[in-house]
Amino acid sequence: MSYTEKHENISKEDWMNRLEGLHIQRADMNKLIMNYLVTEGFKEAAEKFQQESGISPSMELDSLDDRIRIRDAIQSGRIQEATALVNQLHPELLDNDRYLYFHLQQLHLIELIRNGEIEEALHFAQEQLSEAGESDPTVLNELERTLALLAFEEPKKCPFKDLLHPTHRQKVASELNAAILKMENRESTTPKLSNLLKLILWAQDELDKKKIKYPKMSKLANAVIDSPK
Amino acid sequence: MMPIQLKAEATVTLGSLAKGTEDHIKALVDMGVVPVLIAGLGSDEVKLIEACLRCLRTIFEFSCAPVGLICQDENLPLRLLSLIPHSVSNQVCVATILAAGCKTAENQNLLCRQEAVPALAALLCSPHYKVQMPSLRCLANMCFQNQKVSAIVATSSFGGKSVPDLLVGLMARDKPSEMQMGAARCITYMHRAGAVSAEDPKILYRTLPCLVRLCKKDRPCEERVTAAETLAYLTEVDTELQRLASISNHLVPTLAELLHYQPEPSHTQAVQLTPSQTAQRLEQEVKTAQDMKQAAFRAFASLGANDEDIRKKIIETDNLMDHIVSGLQDPSQRVRLAAVRCLHSLSRSVQQLRTTFQDHSVWRPLMQLLQGASDDILTVASSTLCNLLLEFSPSKEPILESGAVDLLCGLTRRQDPALRLNGIWALMNMAFQAEQKIKSQILHALGTDQIFRLLSDPEVGVLMKTLGLLRNLLSTKPHIDHIMGLHGNQIMQ
Repeated sequence: MSYTEKHENISKEDWMNRLEGLHIQRADMNKLIMNYLVTEGFKEAAEKFQQESGISPSMELDSLDDRIRIRDAIQSGRIQEATALVNQLHPELLDNDRYLYFHLQQLHLIELIRNGEIEEALHFAQEQLSEAGESDPTVLNELERTLALLAFEEPKKCPFKDLLHPTHRQKVASELNAAILKMENRESTTPKLSNLLKLILWAQDELDKKKIKYPKMSKLANAVIDSPK
Repeated sequence: MMPIQLKAEATVTLGSLAKGTEDHIKALVDMGVVPVLIAGLGSDEVKLIEACLRCLRTIFEFSCAPVGLICQDENLPLRLLSLIPHSVSNQVCVATILAAGCKTAENQNLLCRQEAVPALAALLCSPHYKVQMPSLRCLANMCFQNQKVSAIVATSSFGGKSVPDLLVGLMARDKPSEMQMGAARCITYMHRAGAVSAEDPKILYRTLPCLVRLCKKDRPCEERVTAAETLAYLTEVDTELQRLASISNHLVPTLAELLHYQPEPSHTQAVQLTPSQTAQRLEQEVKTAQDMKQAAFRAFASLGANDEDIRKKIIETDNLMDHIVSGLQDPSQRVRLAAVRCLHSLSRSVQQLRTTFQDHSVWRPLMQLLQGASDDILTVASSTLCNLLLEFSPSKEPILESGAVDLLCGLTRRQDPALRLNGIWALMNMAFQAEQKIKSQILHALGTDQIFRLLSDPEVGVLMKTLGLLRNLLSTKPHIDHIMGLHGNQIMQ
């Protein structure tokens, strides 16, 4: 199919018209939103949304409580509390996923560094983390980056400052959340909405690879579509 | 803390320790942790039971674990089965534990008596992959070489579908390949135990194609090995299955690919390995290569067992005979055994013997193999030699030069009747229409005393072949004269 030679560049207007022509069911959208709220642990929002939309959640809302507490603990930097909660809830989870366990410990180390508790940080790293780096080179790499934070006067401005950024906490919290959902044999461990967004990124990537010009969605957060360049 | 909660916490800690290395498991087992955990299953406390089950499941995944304890007390499997309805975690653990404990025919019969089959059939229909997989393994272990249990499994059903139909469903192409493999293995065992016929469409149009597919080059190594071994077992005795398999989806070249396995070169590794990791990796690669060769040879041995055309096809595959010859000289004993079994199957082709085997100088490696071989290799190798000596073309020189006569005479003195039979049979074939000097060599090496001993052998087969040998030795007048001249006195007695 000599499609690529023949096609003309599509204008943004045409593109938007085509998009307008597609019809998405409201019920489907509501289900996606409910799935997001329930997976990520927004219990009150899920309850309210259930009242307002009539969509029932895919799991008992009370079962969200544990995950909410764990996520809260991580977002507030209380990593060891979060770890204890997970161990109570699912004793085998961290034993089976050593990499996740390492990430939790790494986050605790980061919190110690963030609070300026350098001695405790070094002590913790020596006692708990030095062995982890021995068997797995990836882990060793991440451990080295974390400890490098100690070498700088102002860690927030160093090359590894991403570790101190709040998004890192969120990343670990999501990782743990997904692992818990998997342990509970839930259907999806990440919100289906994120899969949809990934599909958009993938499709755009494929088009880019073939050097096709099209109106691209440059920012997912506000779904802004640019004119083709 | 209440005592029972303390017990549960302690059990959870043991479970954590069990997630360590094999040494940790050994230490736990040596301390007698397994009977304690089993006792814990008798409690009413749900958390304690769950913790015990999980810890037991982890321990029993290792070969050093005392799996004999599972079926030793008849009440234990019963108790385990009763715990199934309580949670998904229980289901996973119970199925895994029962699969590990099902080793002997007594185990199989016990589990069957205790109604494990309906329970497992229900678990096959679970929406959770991690429940289905150990259930498949358990059913397969129960059916293996057990006619009674296989018959019961074949007629069991759940949700309106018979277990064989459920298994076929799990072999569908959209299922994960480990699941397809597990289901195919299970139904193969049921067939070999007589519960599913060779003409059943489930075997012909589902199981066989599934196994052939899983042998393909794009599948992971372990999977290809298991698929080829299972295929070898499936087609071992039925000629029609052998025929169907040999024309399925390029099976013969696919199996030949197993013999060409090359591990990935280390420069494609993304991560640097430590020296001990590299050593481990190399060891693993050697084992994988051996597994693949063994599996391929076994599959070819089965495929070529009964049909001349199939043997021809196999022998004519590029480089196959070369691989068999190297296989006979492989450092690993199990590869040598598999290679000689393969050669044995192929040696049944009289027309091929004359040409192909000559070209590939199979003789020397075979003779080398026979020197100082273990008994199981010796039996198959001598049987192969027997067949190879049957061919009519003259060049038996290489065999004679490598000391075959003495070796075969030695076999006739062995305790094992199979070895004696092969020895005398091979000598008989060797003597057929042979030159005088060969006949003399045989007679001289064997000695008239041994011949007379063999004529009174308790095995009828041995006796018959000895008579056959005598007939061949004395087949022409000049030879008779010569032999009688040398040994006349003893013979007349």
